[in-house]
Amino acid sequence: MSADASDLSLVRRVQRGDKGAFDALVLKYQHKLVKLVMRYVRNPAEAEDIAQEAFIKAYRALPQFRGDSAFYTWLYRIAINTAKNAVVSRDRNPVEYDLDRSNTDESYDMQGRMKDSETPEGLVLTDEIRSTVNAAIDALPDDLRTAIVLRELEGLSYEEIAAAMACPVGTVRSRIFRAREAIDRRLREVFEGGLGRAEELG
Amino acid sequence: MNEELDSQLSAMFDNELPAAECELLARRLSRDGDLKARWGRYAVMGAIIRAERGVTLDGTVAGRVSVALTSEPALTDEVPPSRGRVQSRWWQPLAGAGLAAGVAAVSIFWLRSQALSGHPQVMVANVAANSGLVAPVAQRVALQTSSVTPSDSFVVPPASQGQMMVVPATELADYVVAHSAFSWPVSRGNLLSALMVSEPGTSSMPAGSDQPAPGVHGNAIQNPK
Repeated sequence: MSADASDLSLVRRVQRGDKGAFDALVLKYQHKLVKLVMRYVRNPAEAEDIAQEAFIKAYRALPQFRGDSAFYTWLYRIAINTAKNAVVSRDRNPVEYDLDRSNTDESYDMQGRMKDSETPEGLVLTDEIRSTVNAAIDALPDDLRTAIVLRELEGLSYEEIAAAMACPVGTVRSRIFRAREAIDRRLREVFEGGLGRAEELG
Repeated sequence: MNEELDSQLSAMFDNELPAAECELLARRLSRDGDLKARWGRYAVMGAIIRAERGVTLDGTVAGRVSVALTSEPALTDEVPPSRGRVQSRWWQPLAGAGLAAGVAAVSIFWLRSQALSGHPQVMVANVAANSGLVAPVAQRVALQTSSVTPSDSFVVPPASQGQMMVVPATELADYVVAHSAFSWPVSRGNLLSALMVSEPGTSSMPAGSDQPAPGVHGNAIQNPK
């Protein structure tokens, strides 16, 4: 089994013209990429902008991706270069940034710079998601919680988790799946409720 | 949505699903909105477990990227060669060498067959031999084409005055010509002479003659070199 088989299968679909497969890759890596970019910029909104730019660059460069390295390694390199360039550009043109702000309509500018996550409902939703997931993890049986934490926090493979928990690999796969299912049941309620609240606020 | 599919999705998210199953699930994932939403929630769970501070969890980046890419053209199917394809190229030099050797062998055999049966003089001689008589026109044509290189040629024995010339059997003549390149001129001449002698009406040909007799260039067979 290839360590990058699932990413590669999605990449190959994108290379054949399936944009929907790229959505899946973005969904999977967006949080990791924003976190990575935040090593270079402090502002979360700016980090999101850079992450977005990195994803678009990756999409355009995907025809040249041959699969010699893992997709996320390749993507991370693009993100780091994009972040470095953004920092250099910002340091070179600080005046331009200020002039832009003063020359544009302030309300439009603020609206444009304020991302969904920075709106009151966005922040509430994010906090609610965090607390819900954490509560769901706490409520998991020990074997499920250990399996999902070893996977997500420590980044261990199924085989390594199986060795650590002294159980077959198939059991690890089942435990991680059941842990995710349990968390997802709670999470779905938040997302659906959150969307409902956002509509009410809007 | 069945449990097996969800289990596969979870394993695929962790890059722990066999490649063959990934192909099928990737196709479904790219088209199924519910499956994609679940996939996105798996990513949110991971981000929260890793306590990725500053990371928003409502998928704004994904949404913005998706919108930005709507104006982008879909990628073509021209996938560059993967590492596996590159590694499998070791046989290409061998295949190239084999192909070149094959072409060379075919060329040699073709040239040899041309030298045997496709040469103008030989063809004329064959026609004459098969028809059983020597046509004056054929003689003239062969005379013109062979006049450039009159030396070092084999000669079909001349007919005696007022007698029709008889050409040795075509197959035997061809065989001798084909092997003439590997034989000494003396033995070559002897063999031809022997053939002439064995044919009825050719006894006037002097044995061992390797020079064209006067007036018989029309049936000269050039030695293929």
